[in-house]
Amino acid sequence: MAEPTGPALTAPSPAPTPASEPQPATENAPQTLPIRDSKPAKPIAKDATAPADAAGNADKALTPAELKKKAKAEKAARRAREKVEKEQVGGPAGGAAPGAGGQARAPTTPKKDAAGGAAQKGGKAAPPRRGSGPGPFGAQSAPVEQKKKKDDKKVAVFGHLYGQQRRTTVAGAGKEVHPAVLALGLQLRDYVVCGSSARCVATLLAFKRVVESYTTPLGTSLARHLTTHLSHQITYLSTCRPLSITQGNAIRALKLAISSIDPSTPESSAKATLCDFIDSFIREKITVAGQVIAASAAQKVRDGDVIVTFAGSNVVKDTLLLAHNQGKRFRVSIIDSRPLFEGKSLARALAKAGLDVQYTLVHATTHAIKDATKVFLGAHAMTSNGGLYSRVGTALVAMSAKERASGVEIPVIVCCETVKFTDRVALDSIVVNEIADADELVSSLPPQQLTGLPDPGANTPAPADNKKGGKPTTAAPTLETPASSSSTSPLANWKETPNLQLLNIMYDVTPAEYVDMVVTEMGSLPPSAVPIVHRISTNL
Amino acid sequence: MPATSLALTPGLASFLKSLKTNPIDTSIENLISLLKRRQIRHSRSCATATAYLLRSVISACRTADSAKLIERVQGVGRRLMAAQPREMVVGNIVRRVLGLIRDEAEDDREAEFALSDVGSESQPQTPRAYDDPSLPLDRDSLSIRSEDRSARPPLTSMFSLLSHPEPEHSLPSTPGSLSPGGRLPGHGPSKDVRAEVLEGIGEIIDELGQVDDQIAAYALDHIHSNEIILTHTSSTTVQKFLLKAAAKRKFTVIHAESYPNNHEATHATVSGGSMHDDDNLGFETFQKPLIEHGITVILIPDSAVFALMSRVNKVILGTHSVLANGGLVAAAGTRVIARAAKVHQTPIVVVSGVYKLSPVYPFDFDSLIEYGDASKVLSYEDGDLVDQIDVQNPIYDYVPAELVDLYITNLGGHAPSYLYRIVSDHYRKEDISF
Repeated sequence: MAEPTGPALTAPSPAPTPASEPQPATENAPQTLPIRDSKPAKPIAKDATAPADAAGNADKALTPAELKKKAKAEKAARRAREKVEKEQVGGPAGGAAPGAGGQARAPTTPKKDAAGGAAQKGGKAAPPRRGSGPGPFGAQSAPVEQKKKKDDKKVAVFGHLYGQQRRTTVAGAGKEVHPAVLALGLQLRDYVVCGSSARCVATLLAFKRVVESYTTPLGTSLARHLTTHLSHQITYLSTCRPLSITQGNAIRALKLAISSIDPSTPESSAKATLCDFIDSFIREKITVAGQVIAASAAQKVRDGDVIVTFAGSNVVKDTLLLAHNQGKRFRVSIIDSRPLFEGKSLARALAKAGLDVQYTLVHATTHAIKDATKVFLGAHAMTSNGGLYSRVGTALVAMSAKERASGVEIPVIVCCETVKFTDRVALDSIVVNEIADADELVSSLPPQQLTGLPDPGANTPAPADNKKGGKPTTAAPTLETPASSSSTSPLANWKETPNLQLLNIMYDVTPAEYVDMVVTEMGSLPPSAVPIVHRISTNL
Repeated sequence: MPATSLALTPGLASFLKSLKTNPIDTSIENLISLLKRRQIRHSRSCATATAYLLRSVISACRTADSAKLIERVQGVGRRLMAAQPREMVVGNIVRRVLGLIRDEAEDDREAEFALSDVGSESQPQTPRAYDDPSLPLDRDSLSIRSEDRSARPPLTSMFSLLSHPEPEHSLPSTPGSLSPGGRLPGHGPSKDVRAEVLEGIGEIIDELGQVDDQIAAYALDHIHSNEIILTHTSSTTVQKFLLKAAAKRKFTVIHAESYPNNHEATHATVSGGSMHDDDNLGFETFQKPLIEHGITVILIPDSAVFALMSRVNKVILGTHSVLANGGLVAAAGTRVIARAAKVHQTPIVVVSGVYKLSPVYPFDFDSLIEYGDASKVLSYEDGDLVDQIDVQNPIYDYVPAELVDLYITNLGGHAPSYLYRIVSDHYRKEDISF
């Protein structure tokens, strides 16, 4: 699914790429916040003064429930602050909110909640979601109307998936958030780091740096406080893009490792233990697992095969390259989809290695599958009921492989590390999914007009290679030529058009009956074995 | 291309304009090259162009002899079909015109016999003298028919058994059909044939103009309140169908955008933008989009079809052409949608004018598929990649009949298995493989 940041997957060396991570961050920053560049100074300064002491020693003896409450309050406060900033109301409210959030001891939180609740009661018939809690801060009629309009743009069936808006800048991030995490958040949001294993690895590496730079505050122990410190980072990451299953699994494992550290261990050795744990987690669960999977899946490739794959999976890429290196002669047919075009980078990598590659989009699935002999798919996650949760469109490809008119079934093989297994179940693709920005679907300029534009690489100089196709093409017209894009694409002002909704979901669930085999580092299994393997691997 | 299409670009509108002024042979060449260059595409445009051209051909054809007319139309038809074999409607219209001429000729002959029982015109030169020699049965039945039709000789084959009664009650319900009995026997056959045929072609042209409204009239029979309907690509027929229902009922439409071949038109259809092919000008420009009728339209990429199918009540699809076996050739991506609908037990309704119904039986599905511009899949920005890999962009999909639950044509709703009957109502057997 992924194009990891270069060294991330291949070399989780003890010295963790300190150079590679801030670098994209600096490149990213000008690209992603071209308009808001002037702002961040203010909130950061605010953050530094207001909750400075509070956050320092407020966390002494909090029960998990209190912690949760506190996190909630902070989140609400942060959202409120962001909203306030957005509306340029400025000073007093914004200053107060973080203060309240920071000092969220038991007495203050209920008060805040009550205030939010009261305001909500008074503040019109806003939907009773938590996200609307900080509504009162901008309780003018215009924002309410805007909100209504926004709701109109939400596809009703997927209403539960529209959380808060994805973060657009680092502004408003808590001061506890480590710079490496800040950078990672933006990379995740922009699909620079994309694909569930890459996201997992990048998160773990960033957390490793968090751990390295962490010092236990006075009066608490590492095992107790580091978890809360990490949860700030996690909250921030999840506002950039909802966490993947792999990220969740890795975080769970890391927290378990933290809490199992003996409080009497000296800080330096505890940190070394944790760093080792992170390194070995990446190595065992992802790097080596990927190699094992590639090796065993490559055995399934025969001479003369026509292998169909969907979008761009990293493990599938490794598998096909390995099979090619083993001297097997086969053809690869890549089916790609809008708006991310992840298959493009896969096609590029395979073509560079000299494979025979055929490339098409999801509309031609039937044609691509017609003379296929095997289907290799990557996974975002495997659910406990054997469902394959993967990039949207995967289900169509798997279905086509199983339902050919001729009656011949093509084996569908999923390459998936066990770290992607989850105990969640999914029957359809609606309950659990991720909604991406629908603006990504607004078609980019027709190719003949792109020639006149300034080079899209001009404002994204270095990471151009790294990038997925979707983002630069959509970013270019919106940032540079809003006028011409509105004249060409009929969808340009879809947000103002009543009753028109755009839906851009990220994943779909392929039913277990379309999957013949799941190749994992623990062997090749039927999809029904997912819950067992998950239990084994989490109990280790 | 469609974005920049002006009134000046060659297309249906310019062709129809030039048809009146240009000599007939120029017009034929013109249409052939327009078809070859895909400057006239979409079924309706092709059908309209063909019908108008044949009307000019026949009115320019100064002959009284129906056999000569048939010969002429066959010649033109063959060239048009060779120009763009995958636009099957061209062949359909040619076949229907041929059928018209044959009907007229028979009626006249019968009338003649009714007056004086003389075996007057035993034409030794049958119009099908140069027909495909692999179809001898066809010629048999034809020669029988043309030599002494009214005498009704003993049937020589099962084939002719079926063919004989056909003209009497052929296509009673189509606008293009002609009532066989209503002709006065006293008329001179010579002038009459041509005039009647021209009138018949006029009716075909009328049918092409009205077909969407006729289909839309069935909309309320098929759409209930609060339904979630999935459709694909921009089809005028589907849009009119949904609009008709939108006037009375509230429902939700999920629209798959059919990237990369037709997404611009789909986006325009969905948002009510003004990006229309000039081919469809006049049909669509005065049309309000669904969203202005209070219908919620959700635009999705094609890949999300499976994810959403569990919520969909009905799939309504337009088509490029319908084949005699009930299968259809439609925009690429239709087949996976139909398959996904089948998996979810969602009914699939295909709306299509009868003129798209082709008597061709598909033995080789691949031959029906046209491949389009690969740069739509992978644009020239990725030029380095284009050199190394094989990019494919099929334009059509073949959807087998078993995936379709219902066809709605301007004649009503039919099961896919019934389509062969409509085919035999509309096309003369001897024209099927002309």
